[in-house]
Amino acid sequence: MAAVLLQRIGLALVTMVIIAVVVFFALELMPGDACSVNLGRGASDSMLAACHTRLGLDQPPIWRFVTWAGDFLRGDLGISMQRERPIAEIVGWRLRNTLILAGVTSVIGIPLALGLGVLAGLNPDGPLDMAISGVAIFAMTVPEFISGTLMILVFSVILGWAAGVVTIGYKAPAFELVKASILPAATLIFILAAHILRMVRASVVEVMQSDFVQMARLKGASRRRVIWHHVVPNALLPAISIIGLTMAWLLGGVVIVESVFNFPGLGRLAVDAVADQDLPLVQAIALLFGLIYVLTNLGADLVALILNPRLRTRRQ
Amino acid sequence: MILSLSTKLLATPLVILMTLASAAQAESVLRRANDLSFGGSESLDPISANRFYEVNDLIYSRLIRQDVDGRPAPELAQTWTANATATEWTLTLQPGVTFHDGSTFDAADVKFTLERVKDPALESPVTDVLGFIEAVDVIDPLTARIRLSTPHAGLPLLLMDYRVRMLPEGAAAPYGVGTGPFKLDSFDPESMTILSANLAYWEGAPKLDKIEFTAIPDSEARNQAMLGGQIDYNGLTRDQEPLYAGNPDFTVQSYPAGGWFGIAFQSNQPPLDDPRIRKALRIAVDRVEMLALMTGEGNGIVSCDTPVMASDPFRANLDCPQDIAGAKALLAQAGYPDGIDIEVFTADLEPGMVQYAEVYQQQVAKAGIRVKLTVAPSDGYWDDIWLKKNAVTSWSQRPADQFLNEAYRSGAAWNESHFANAAYDTLLDQARATLDIDKARSLYVQAQEILFNEGGTLIAYQENGRRVMSSRVTGIAPQDEDYIRWHLVGMAE
Repeated sequence: MAAVLLQRIGLALVTMVIIAVVVFFALELMPGDACSVNLGRGASDSMLAACHTRLGLDQPPIWRFVTWAGDFLRGDLGISMQRERPIAEIVGWRLRNTLILAGVTSVIGIPLALGLGVLAGLNPDGPLDMAISGVAIFAMTVPEFISGTLMILVFSVILGWAAGVVTIGYKAPAFELVKASILPAATLIFILAAHILRMVRASVVEVMQSDFVQMARLKGASRRRVIWHHVVPNALLPAISIIGLTMAWLLGGVVIVESVFNFPGLGRLAVDAVADQDLPLVQAIALLFGLIYVLTNLGADLVALILNPRLRTRRQ
Repeated sequence: MILSLSTKLLATPLVILMTLASAAQAESVLRRANDLSFGGSESLDPISANRFYEVNDLIYSRLIRQDVDGRPAPELAQTWTANATATEWTLTLQPGVTFHDGSTFDAADVKFTLERVKDPALESPVTDVLGFIEAVDVIDPLTARIRLSTPHAGLPLLLMDYRVRMLPEGAAAPYGVGTGPFKLDSFDPESMTILSANLAYWEGAPKLDKIEFTAIPDSEARNQAMLGGQIDYNGLTRDQEPLYAGNPDFTVQSYPAGGWFGIAFQSNQPPLDDPRIRKALRIAVDRVEMLALMTGEGNGIVSCDTPVMASDPFRANLDCPQDIAGAKALLAQAGYPDGIDIEVFTADLEPGMVQYAEVYQQQVAKAGIRVKLTVAPSDGYWDDIWLKKNAVTSWSQRPADQFLNEAYRSGAAWNESHFANAAYDTLLDQARATLDIDKARSLYVQAQEILFNEGGTLIAYQENGRRVMSSRVTGIAPQDEDYIRWHLVGMAE
């Protein structure tokens, strides 16, 4: 158990190092540097030189990478070029807001997906399954920027039930952000739930045909007992890793959904930072996204390990 | 029974809340969006490179503003006169004007505001425009004398610059106190900035109670907020316009503005050092068709390679229909009877920048001009391509004198076509020393004629600005934001 655990954590660390290297050196390869890109057309030689000295861009790239990664480990994310404030302070509020959005999305989306997935899987090819699976395929294929825009059009512009675009600031109290995240979360749930429920459905169908379920039925267990004690626990195990992956996907999804809804989170900040040509901020956000991705997957792996005795020992 | 009781219990406070809400609605608020074009570093210093123009326009006033014909009209300065050589200008100021903090506006504030333009620590782009102001003397509280290091007859026009706004003497960061029709209540460019009416405004109390700016960086999200009634006033792109057409809830306006795309040909590189070739490259363009293709009918004005906008009194209104035969003849004279190969760079930096070059490529092909078009990476475009190669360029509006000097005078830092013409430079110098506005106009027009005959920059048209407003908004004519008198703007019930 401990060996498996250490192996997983080790792999996560290696992944993080690779992400850091790629994030840093990919931006190195771009034409120009943080200064010339940010100053743009109005850059004079003296302004460029001053900026290079300020950001330490006159140092060799390897040395800058070591300093940057080291500072990151100590929680110092650097200074934003455009906002001229510490990145940690800028990112902090946005991270909270994105976590609120992700939280609302998962609290509603995951149980919904699991429930619908089990329902569909218990009656494969029945009318209920057809309806659920049909909607799921539709939901998976419509991109967020279309479903999001449609949500605003229907619920805000036409029906007037909810405010379409989020107009509250990034420092707004958490409960206001929860209220504001209803439409964006609905857009995310639409896709997230579809992915998870299809996985759960397939898994339930498979488990229903397995020998141990057959056995349970033959020994006379009630349908309810078969479902709750034999089918659901076994069917949900594979769903845990897919939930992990989907949560990580959510990070990519928030970039688009937050822009469409003007939600003041990390995703919109990423888009703004790219538009502002603020390379230190872009690098910090990219690394942060990488970190969240790796942590989410690691978390899902660990939960699966705890819940599934079969994974706890290494297969020889 | 239980259900209906609880519904009633819930409904009572709701009704009270709604009544309160509608009482609050009686306050007239104009809600606008901040597009965060400076990424949160929006500054209340009017001359900062990151000036928060939309807010500064409301809280500060200029000395001189433009009248409907674009000519200088009084704002905080009542009159202005120059000495015979246009090296000294004397301004008399509007009496009884107070800043938002209650202090009185006087000549010392003019001195402070104009002299800080030269402060190197501020790194203000306005230094390039008004850096020739040597000093300002306070003659008496309502008279200021501006001394220039070189003669400049066009000073009143330059004082109309949208950034030259009066600050109280000694103002320091974060700024925000002015003499404008609105005063600052709270300032946070990344979420919400709130302004309220300055009841002591010298031209009369504003009709609106408040103006709010919400940060919405994404253009599509701003559009959704507008459609959903969450904001009342917004800029509009060409492709968004049909969404509002025929909808009685909205007013759409298209107004003359001075922004343009162009192609800067490198006049110092053979074979483009031959002015005949440069002219051929420009007269082969069908500007009317290009304007229609790029902006739609009636959304701009054809330009014969002048950067100056239509509402500027110094614009040269030349005639320049497409001339394929003329272009071919010029090319033949210059030694290219079989046509010429030209390389043009562009980048997807702003919507339309690539299409502009594509339309150009198609149009001039008829004259035997074979354009090799390269779409360069957006990153580094202004560093690696612009000023170095034939490149599509983009400018925002500015006054004639500023434009003609900044982009075409020999050796100017932003002379993107490397145009060098002594006669042109002399005309600009003479115009600056000419106090008679009609004589100055003829000199500026001659300079623009030189640009059309010999220049290296193609400017096919100036595109109109567009805005959409809630149809409740009153008092805004289809004109550039510079012309809006914000204290007269209201919201109908």
